[in-house]
Amino acid sequence: MSRVSLLLVSVLLVWSCSAPGESNPEVHFTVPANFPEPVYAFERNPMTSAGVELGKALFNEPLLSRDNSFSCAECHSQPYGFTHHGHDVSHGIDNLKGTRNSLSLQNLAWESSFFWDGGVGDLDFVPIAPITNAVELGETTKNVLDKLRATKKYPLLFKKAFGSEEITTERFLKAFSQFMVTLVSAHSRYDKFVRNEGETLTPEEQAGLKLFEQKCSSCHQGALFTDHSFRNNGLFVQGVKDEGRAKVTELEKDKYTFRVPSLRNVAVTGPYMHDGRFYTLEAVLDHYAEGVQDTQNLDPVLRQKPGLGIALTLQERQQIVAFLKTLTDEEFLKNKRFAAE
Amino acid sequence: MKFHSFLFINFLIISGILSSCTKENPTPVTEGDSNDVILEFDNRVGAQKLVLGETLYQTGTGESFTVSTFNYFVSNVSLKKTDGSNIKFPDQYFLIRQADNNSWEPVLKNVPAGDYQEITFTIGVDSTKSVSPVGERKGVLDEGSYGDDGMYWSWNSGYIFLKLEGTSPAAPANGAGIRRFQMHVGGFGGMTSATINNLRTVTLPFPQNQLATVRKTVAPTIHVIANLQKIFSGKTTVKIADTPAIHMPAAAVPLANNYVHMFTVDHTHNE
Repeated sequence: MSRVSLLLVSVLLVWSCSAPGESNPEVHFTVPANFPEPVYAFERNPMTSAGVELGKALFNEPLLSRDNSFSCAECHSQPYGFTHHGHDVSHGIDNLKGTRNSLSLQNLAWESSFFWDGGVGDLDFVPIAPITNAVELGETTKNVLDKLRATKKYPLLFKKAFGSEEITTERFLKAFSQFMVTLVSAHSRYDKFVRNEGETLTPEEQAGLKLFEQKCSSCHQGALFTDHSFRNNGLFVQGVKDEGRAKVTELEKDKYTFRVPSLRNVAVTGPYMHDGRFYTLEAVLDHYAEGVQDTQNLDPVLRQKPGLGIALTLQERQQIVAFLKTLTDEEFLKNKRFAAE
Repeated sequence: MKFHSFLFINFLIISGILSSCTKENPTPVTEGDSNDVILEFDNRVGAQKLVLGETLYQTGTGESFTVSTFNYFVSNVSLKKTDGSNIKFPDQYFLIRQADNNSWEPVLKNVPAGDYQEITFTIGVDSTKSVSPVGERKGVLDEGSYGDDGMYWSWNSGYIFLKLEGTSPAAPANGAGIRRFQMHVGGFGGMTSATINNLRTVTLPFPQNQLATVRKTVAPTIHVIANLQKIFSGKTTVKIADTPAIHMPAAAVPLANNYVHMFTVDHTHNE
């Protein structure tokens, strides 16, 4: 009942905030029945169809890169849960490589920090990071805005979304957020199963679910499959020796800790970990069972068995993998609303 | 010799004007009157004018350097009256950019008439504003206004409070053979857990007999000198050779602790 009323409240919120004069306001964002309340400040950024459309156009706009060659969608591709399929780390402008695996973009209205290290604390400011990163889009926000102003298309899209042709940083970023928060994944087989929508799980998947709840859900918690924390999961410190969250906080306690990512659509978002070192889910499970290293700030939950990590037999690992595949949301991955025109 | 005496005469004339400006008995304060106060930021290196580009300067430890960029934020200004009361100017953010002379003299609007003896300001952008919604980031706080001269860390959300860039023989050569140094100071104290806070506040009493007397017809100028040489010396000596590239709050602490002492109020004009 409370979920239903929450849903109603959010629908009303969207309606009441719609731009004046917009007839037949659509529902742009709803809270799935099995989800908690979102944290994004919708009241500061009233969603409209035109705003979401503009955000989608910007997400797919190559003008955002310095040489106008590629867009956000390059490294955040819808069929792969908005990740860069097959890439441990992504190559950006001038074919330069970054050091971290591109994160999936989904259920962002429930996140209060972004990127592997949580360096950005407000969804509205997220696009600036890849735009200005020298190895990603390699551009300045100012140039992007100037390029958009010089087009025929964008002043009109901004007018539809915000009432005038003026292109400002605020409008640009808010349109981005309006699109990004619509990327809600909540229609996996697992969701339909827990919502009693007639879906069943196989015995292997059900066994996996049970194991997952016992052994994984202390971090990959709740409907979003994350507790939104930053933890050191015992990866061997290799390559660029990425210090994770400590790179932004400069605190000893954060060394080698990274975001606990959601596991929704995890079967299609490989490779895994902040640097994409594991190519398969089996390799990830093997890591937790056998590969956990005793590095600085190793999470206490991985110290509970002799030899570190999580006790998992080979069969249990298989069952968990089978369960994780039920988190794939085909509707989300194929939803035309999210795709470029 | 001739030139020098010309300068000296000029000096006498100018100082005569200055002292006449300040010694003059100001008209009495009328309640309800207000005017502008102009803050003039005059960036120097020791006793030299700061000129961007080729000019070679020296740090206190004898490292020579040129300056290509020198920017800093000034915010949370307050002015203290001779009666001890303070007039605050919240939510006003100024970005002083040496490359843009239009930015050197920010104006405080609607300052109540009165006699002021001291100025306080923050170097940087306070933590509240640093985490404020995008709709509150206008003017110099608009990340989309910076272009190549960015004053914002996008990967660790927050403003760069002070930015000093240039070249120095003490800095290592890059691939193109350029010996560049970059000192970026930021860090507002953290979004969720307490991290390095490089916000610094400066309080500068005006020199004796140099009040800023705001009247209906008098909009004073407070002439502030910023001596960037002091960034390298003070509480901690900073050598370009040791830290030619500072882009993180912790490494920037010595700079913030030094530059808090780089400002002085040289004089006021009451015109």
